[in-house]
Amino acid sequence: MSVSIADPKMMASSSSTRSLLRHTFVLTRRSVIGRLRQPAVLAPAFIFPLFFAALGSASFNRLASDPYFTANIATSFLNYAVAGAVLQGVLFGSTSAAGDLATDIEQGFFERLLASPISRTAIVLGRLAASMVVAVVQVVIFMAIFLVAGARIESGPIGFIGLIGGGALLALAMSAMMAGLAIKSGSPEVVQGAFPLVFVLMFLSSAFFPRHYMKGWYRTVADWNPLSHIVEGMQGFMNHELSASQFAKSWLIPFVLANIGIAFALRALNNRLAAS
Amino acid sequence: MTEQTVNTRTISDGARPFEVVAILVKRSMMRVRRMPSAFIPSLVMPVFQLIAFSGAFGFAVTSLGIKNALDWYVPLNAMQGASFGALGVSFGLINDMQTGFFDRILMAPTPRWVTVVSSLAAAVVRCVVPITFVVIVGYIGGMNTPGGFMAIVCVAIASIAIAVVAAGFALGLTFRMRNLGAATLTQFAIFFTIFLSTSQVPLSAMSGWLRGVARINPMTNILRFARQGFLGDVTWEQSWGGIIAMAVLLILTFIFAMTGIKKFDQ
Amino acid sequence: MTQAPIIATGLSRSFGTGDDAIKAVDGVDLEVQQGEIFGFLGPNGAGKSTTVRMLTTLLKPSAGTAFVAGYDVVKDADKVRRSIGVALQDAAIDPLMTGRELLTLQAVLYGLSKVAGKNRGEELLERVGLTAAADRRVGTYSGGMRRRLDLALSLVHEPTVLFLDEPTTGLDPMSRLTLWEEVKRLNAGGTTVLLTTQYLEEADQLADRIAIIDHGHIVRQGAPRELKALVGSPTLSISVASSETDEARSILARFGDLRPTSEGTLGVGLARGAEDVAAVIRALDEAGLKVRHLELDEPSLDDVFAEATGYRLEGADAANKPTESEAAPEEKKSRRGRK
Repeated sequence: MSVSIADPKMMASSSSTRSLLRHTFVLTRRSVIGRLRQPAVLAPAFIFPLFFAALGSASFNRLASDPYFTANIATSFLNYAVAGAVLQGVLFGSTSAAGDLATDIEQGFFERLLASPISRTAIVLGRLAASMVVAVVQVVIFMAIFLVAGARIESGPIGFIGLIGGGALLALAMSAMMAGLAIKSGSPEVVQGAFPLVFVLMFLSSAFFPRHYMKGWYRTVADWNPLSHIVEGMQGFMNHELSASQFAKSWLIPFVLANIGIAFALRALNNRLAAS
Repeated sequence: MTEQTVNTRTISDGARPFEVVAILVKRSMMRVRRMPSAFIPSLVMPVFQLIAFSGAFGFAVTSLGIKNALDWYVPLNAMQGASFGALGVSFGLINDMQTGFFDRILMAPTPRWVTVVSSLAAAVVRCVVPITFVVIVGYIGGMNTPGGFMAIVCVAIASIAIAVVAAGFALGLTFRMRNLGAATLTQFAIFFTIFLSTSQVPLSAMSGWLRGVARINPMTNILRFARQGFLGDVTWEQSWGGIIAMAVLLILTFIFAMTGIKKFDQ
Repeated sequence: MTQAPIIATGLSRSFGTGDDAIKAVDGVDLEVQQGEIFGFLGPNGAGKSTTVRMLTTLLKPSAGTAFVAGYDVVKDADKVRRSIGVALQDAAIDPLMTGRELLTLQAVLYGLSKVAGKNRGEELLERVGLTAAADRRVGTYSGGMRRRLDLALSLVHEPTVLFLDEPTTGLDPMSRLTLWEEVKRLNAGGTTVLLTTQYLEEADQLADRIAIIDHGHIVRQGAPRELKALVGSPTLSISVASSETDEARSILARFGDLRPTSEGTLGVGLARGAEDVAAVIRALDEAGLKVRHLELDEPSLDDVFAEATGYRLEGADAANKPTESEAAPEEKKSRRGRK
């Protein structure tokens, strides 16, 4: 089976679509199991977001006495911090997954997969789907912990699903972009090196502190940062009545980013195949 | 070749410790100059954090009456930069252990404390640049120093002390573990010690568990010492707690490093 | 100094504790004489490095004693350090520093004054032929240059005892020869040298005496000649006209066991050693046989090593004559089995 991923006709034909799905499913399962077997690698994606959320809610709870905050943003700082922690956890997890991919490429395992009769698209999509599955598990665990700690989902059960979906789509977007970077560079160092950049973007958004209280150029950057709007959509699920804008922000933006990311990743894969 | 016989040889009468410290510090600086890529993160990170903290959490501290968020975060990030810079000493030592260069130093007739002291001294020299960098960015950002020159002196003392403590802790762990895990563990230790103190907001703004932890965390005292000149006058009352905390930590980490090298020597 | 420069008695070192303890070195006795080059051989993991690390004060013995340059390696470690020079395995030098910087550092580590250190550094650079490369970073040096620099570093404080840990591993034959020459020169100047190596040829060329360590024990110790003689007799191979082969064979058999050699030649292990060569020639001559070619092969150190440890060192075949190592493959296996 020699499906070229650049060939849309082949992609569209029903038999290859079926095998693509099957292969994707198999590779997804393999990838998820692989991720869950390395708890030490996943641990930081759990520990740090929860630590920052705990720290934030203990440090900034006074903010809850600010009238603007209580009226427009959140009922408590803990309730505010939940979305930031979810965002952070998903971004951490997706980056480390891309690091695995880069390691596979570096060690030649990826080449072996490419040599097998498995669809090349499935190899990439399998990884991305696995990231989404891990993200769903992660969001559910985070939510359970936060609910026990006293957080409330103001938008109800649909909001809960909204949060999970947002997390999964964000994982897809981030994993796709990072996978593109991993395939393009083939070096775990480059992927690791991109990580501080993700951290910077997170700080320059409303993930840790409301945009409303930022000033000057910092505020301008945060206004333009897509992460601000994604996380605010999720904060909406936590703190307000259900609304369409929450889905638009936390689902649609990651969805668009995911499409760009997947296009980038597949293009990088094609280039790598053409080069070898 | 000169004619040499066993009896006429001038056997070395042992090294002069301070010359050894000086040349080992010089070597550490030289490595920084010749391999700047390893040093740059310890310069960029504290400045980024300064901008991020004051940009993101600015309101949280200015709403408590602090004039400029930088007044609160410059001392913190100077100390953080100094401590991360000190980690370079641990990385350097691990590198020396792996290449065998450390054996060369151990085989020389110099006392063991010289090895520890020169690493700590190197940490001090290394931290000067990040501290200066953070303070300059603070000035550009318009931070206030009502304590005048003493404000800067206090930040410098606290940062250097933290750099030495971090380096001593890293050395002690490195001698015991002999791998990069030591540097990672030190990083975690610094991270949690700093964040579980008054790093982000004053004690009065904290609630619950964090307040309890921050209150007994020696870092809180050291931060109070470092910040006083940025928030008001430098006074003995705000200083003594920090001075004691620094002294105790310095002694403990020096002992930890010395017992570490003794263990390594077995 | 009346005492031998290196004396080890019952030197032992184990790693770990309790039942898991591994005895890396177990009761090693060594005595290296003044002015000797002493070769220290052993398979990887036999305890070679551990012994050297104890003698150079990098590791404390768990039992036994060792005196180097007349000082106890534990009680007088500092005095031992002042008296010994050590060139470490893999030339442990900082690639970011230049040769001259490293020499200066070494001089300070050993307490030389600034002027003395500078003069000594220049002298040593000259001596090892690195003056032109002195201000280049060591990272740009070739393997041979690194080893030469390493040797120069170990000589900064004019040590009386020099430890060379595998000084030529990985070097090309030319660089190896240069280093050998330098070691011989140093030794001629009165420096006692302890050399560990995995090249038997190196030990054969340089060492006055050798010791072979295996499983933490010294299994052979002595001059290479003596040790070789212990392993067996030298092989004399001759070639004669093909019509005379049978007669020649029966004559040779009188002097020892016949040995397999290459096609067209006859080989015999001389039972009484090389001194029988003349007698063999005489006997062949008396029988009217014309000897076209003659060759006498001593047993190699490789044979000694194999007999002592049951191993052949990697690369030993290349370093020795092929005929010898081909001669007794069966024998080697049986030795291994015996161990």
